[in-house]
Amino acid sequence: MKTITIDPITRLEGHGKISIFLDTKGDVENAYLQIPELRGFERFSQGRRAEDMPQITSRICGVCPVAHHFAATKALDDAFNVEPPSPAKKLRELMYCGYIIYDHILHFYYLGGPDFVVGPDAPPAKRNILGVIEKAGLEIGKEVIKHRAYGQKITGILGGKATHPVCGLPGGVSKGLNKDEVKDIETMTKSCVEFAKFSLKLFDDIVLKNKNYVDLILSDPYTLKTYNMGLVDKNNKLNLYDGKIRVTDQKGKEHVKFDVKDYYKNIAEHVEEWSYIKFTYLKDIGWKGFKDGKESGIYRVGPLGRLNAAEGMATPLADKEYKRFYETLGGKAVNSTLAFHWARLIELLYATERAMELIKDPEITSTKIRNPVGEPGEGFGVVEAARGTLIHHYKLDKNGLIDKANLIVATTNNAGAINMSIRDAAKGVIKKGKVNDGLLNMVEMAFRAYDPCFACATHTLPGGMPLEVSIYDKNKKLYKSVKRNI
Amino acid sequence: MKTIVLGVGNPILRDDGVGIHVVNQLKKQINDPSVTIDEAQTGGMNLLDMIRGYDKAILIDTIKIKHAQPGEVKRFLLSDFSSVHSYNPHDVTLPEALQLAEKLGEGRIPHEIVVIGIVLEEMPLEFGEQLSSTIAAAVPKAVEMVLFELGKNLNISSQSNDKVNMKISLR
Repeated sequence: MKTITIDPITRLEGHGKISIFLDTKGDVENAYLQIPELRGFERFSQGRRAEDMPQITSRICGVCPVAHHFAATKALDDAFNVEPPSPAKKLRELMYCGYIIYDHILHFYYLGGPDFVVGPDAPPAKRNILGVIEKAGLEIGKEVIKHRAYGQKITGILGGKATHPVCGLPGGVSKGLNKDEVKDIETMTKSCVEFAKFSLKLFDDIVLKNKNYVDLILSDPYTLKTYNMGLVDKNNKLNLYDGKIRVTDQKGKEHVKFDVKDYYKNIAEHVEEWSYIKFTYLKDIGWKGFKDGKESGIYRVGPLGRLNAAEGMATPLADKEYKRFYETLGGKAVNSTLAFHWARLIELLYATERAMELIKDPEITSTKIRNPVGEPGEGFGVVEAARGTLIHHYKLDKNGLIDKANLIVATTNNAGAINMSIRDAAKGVIKKGKVNDGLLNMVEMAFRAYDPCFACATHTLPGGMPLEVSIYDKNKKLYKSVKRNI
Repeated sequence: MKTIVLGVGNPILRDDGVGIHVVNQLKKQINDPSVTIDEAQTGGMNLLDMIRGYDKAILIDTIKIKHAQPGEVKRFLLSDFSSVHSYNPHDVTLPEALQLAEKLGEGRIPHEIVVIGIVLEEMPLEFGEQLSSTIAAAVPKAVEMVLFELGKNLNISSQSNDKVNMKISLR
């Protein structure tokens, strides 16, 4: 058996490693992505003041601080037995929209999009934001920068700080909006709605009108028939900030819908000896290995998971796009991994439209933004992080200190599916021991679609996302290696 | 001339947060309206937003390089890093962000971006606020190098020679 190792795919050498195992014929048998799981969070949080959790957890990850901030804040609402007043909920959701706006723009234009806009066959040095600008034009580059910054500014106005918000408190928020701020946010949001529409048109022109790209999206190596998970409102429309967790099957039918309080009755974790990460799966279906289909409990979260888990979008323009998405890609559920990118843009449009509704809501300037807390107990919080369902669960002691804390983060929910997508992409480019030059690109496209966040929050220089493929023969002797940025 | 000094890192991820420990020391020693001292628990595009509008930026961060001992403190210019591909699956690198800003005609970019890098032993994977003894021992040296960089160290005779030599050896 040959082993191919792609090492590493994250920022630091030695972390995040893809190993591809070949069978005797030299075809891909299995592929494993090893990602470092940050450890010791429960011990770290034990004995701390519960109300510090929104600040502490927002530092777990440099990528989704706002998602952690609100998952924690919502868990505290529950733990202190308090319902925030309606204006507070709206302020939180508006801020959440700001976060989704900047996060989704960043991913589409800077990270995932280059694969399409510049092209999957383009050299890696061109497959970045600079390549996108070269192809799409300088003016578009300026618009990208501007609207990503708007998302950040909206988040900053509401959160106190753009990156690490300080507004979430059990029972509400610490800060409301004045009329000037409302005006600013409204102007920026209006522009963001137009930019989201433009982005969908760009996707249409560059990707959907190109048969090769559509074929690639619909191709077998990028198809995975898993269950899907996401938050929905009472009408089963997609929601990012609140609602029930809905799981649908491979054909888009509801499998189960539950309150976050019941997450441990529905979600279980599987451990593999080669990985730090725990693979979540649907408890009632069970863990059947890295397989898709109705018999396997693996599910997907994130933009595609959410669209599949819902029955539509709660805003008009996004809902129109939602319908077009399913019409174009062959009905429910869409199981094409690369459709994550389109789904992400539909969510971007939704977030901008929803932000517009909220900023125009008369309650948004209300000063009734906090309710008094009750006695400390146990609490559950859930939000849809940009990259998928995020759950916080705390147990507080009688003094309001953290006794137990458990988090299920988005990338954990997608870990099983990401492994399979990497395996299937590798299958397409490795035949009879022959490794196609496109291996790095194809594998990278497979995991990038999910917008995963691996071991978060370090900022260690030097940069350069290194990729290395090492191929070993039966006797584990190195026989070939492909490298980039090493 | 306006300068910003940023400690880059995660304060709850042990040695990764050393840059923040360094700026906490600097805050006690520097009181100059032309110098802004802050922490940046972020990277890429957000970092670019933070350094915009300054003439000079000094970033204090962890580094992992070959042929260096953990706890060593090195000075680089950001231009020494030429990478254009993201090292984080969800952000661009600062050099990439800067190239982008340049391409789009964004002024207000610092003329000089200096990185004071503290060599890590390994990437921490366990949450905690304490530094390891090796990395904690590097904090005074990093503080001193930032002060020198700011031209504020009045007692530089012996130290400065080291710095100059080091700069040369890095080129």
